[in-house]
Amino acid sequence: MAGLVVPTHRQPPAIYRLARALRWLSVLVLVVLVLFATTVAYSAVEVARSSPQSSGLSASLAANGSIEVGGSFTLLNPGFYPIQGFQLTARIANLSGVFLGQLGVGPSEIAPGSTGTFPIALYVPVSTSGVVASLLTEDQYLRVNAWGNATYAYLFPISVELTENRSWGAPFANFAATAGTPTGGGGSISVPVTVSFANHASFGESGSLVFTIVSAANADCGTTSFPLDVGPGGSYDRTQDVTLAAGCSPAGGELLGEYSYGGAAVPLPPEAIP
Amino acid sequence: MSAPPPTAPRAAPGYHVPSLGYRILVAALRLIPAFFVLVILPVAALTFVHSKGVAVPISTLAVTEWGILLVALGAARYILRPTRAFGPVSIAASAVALLYLVYAVSLSPYRLTIPGGSASIAAGYALFLELLMIIPAIGIVVGVLVTAEDARSPSERLIFEYPA
Repeated sequence: MAGLVVPTHRQPPAIYRLARALRWLSVLVLVVLVLFATTVAYSAVEVARSSPQSSGLSASLAANGSIEVGGSFTLLNPGFYPIQGFQLTARIANLSGVFLGQLGVGPSEIAPGSTGTFPIALYVPVSTSGVVASLLTEDQYLRVNAWGNATYAYLFPISVELTENRSWGAPFANFAATAGTPTGGGGSISVPVTVSFANHASFGESGSLVFTIVSAANADCGTTSFPLDVGPGGSYDRTQDVTLAAGCSPAGGELLGEYSYGGAAVPLPPEAIP
Repeated sequence: MSAPPPTAPRAAPGYHVPSLGYRILVAALRLIPAFFVLVILPVAALTFVHSKGVAVPISTLAVTEWGILLVALGAARYILRPTRAFGPVSIAASAVALLYLVYAVSLSPYRLTIPGGSASIAAGYALFLELLMIIPAIGIVVGVLVTAEDARSPSERLIFEYPA
């Protein structure tokens, strides 16, 4: 009589089971990481395709008497992963490297499938001295250095740096203000003041130009106001008489000008009177 | 009592180890997709990117050398699987993979300068590669365990890896 055969199933040793479990774990980790890398690559391509856009970028003279470059920056994130810690900084200098202004955006997060829109505004205070003054009267190239940082898909830090030379059109290009020969006699002496410039800026100028004749002894000899309405690309050339205060001589003095608009004023470079 | 031979047992109760020739043949066949993934594909990608005037972070020669080394160790690992050399070769293969990843991490971040030099992009991938290092690290641990198992009880695992 045949004996009963009981099938036996031998249990692998613990060390072997552990090795096998670890092997499966590494396969699992590999699969997860490959899937992650694939979806990250796909998402990154989608973000790159949607290309960041700056819109409504324009320059103007702001109400605080400075040059304002404003607009908005839009970054689409159509991918599966967030863009974290997004920061953007732009720095403007002239070609000699003299710093003019800086703007910053962020840090902020752009969730997957959403759009980040960031208003940008850069102010360059205007003065009558230094390099900044030349922005009013001289066309030139400005160096824009922009750099951004972000972390994509939790693991991939990305930084972008962009340097570009942008042309700047001066709002009072070729500016000239001259005081002519005093005329008249008796109790009233006047001086013809001639102002000319071209508006090479992308914005119009509307308001008034106020000129004051200052004597060599720093006394106000007289003031005149020129009405101003010059569009982009337009030019201006006008002469007006300034009645001098009694006993005030403009010789050796200065012609001080100021552009007044919307409650703000921007000083123009002074012109010496011979 | 003598130590067990380092060569693979051809047959024993409860398991059947494929012949050396068969293992070499299968290892050669497995080598084809591995060579494609570890050498041909990355070299082709790097060559394509380089042909577009974009600087690549790693030379094609380095990728080829590391890839061939990994593929060769993978094939050796398969051939030697029924032997006591399997554990040490597994450790070696995983250690080489780990070194390859360490080398790749040292090249991060990848800096790309747009021709003309007006823009540059830097992308860091070190964190991802460090996560990827988990796999060869586990491989080294597995190799150590297999080596210990083979030292403790030679051929015992063959019953489960090559069941009759």
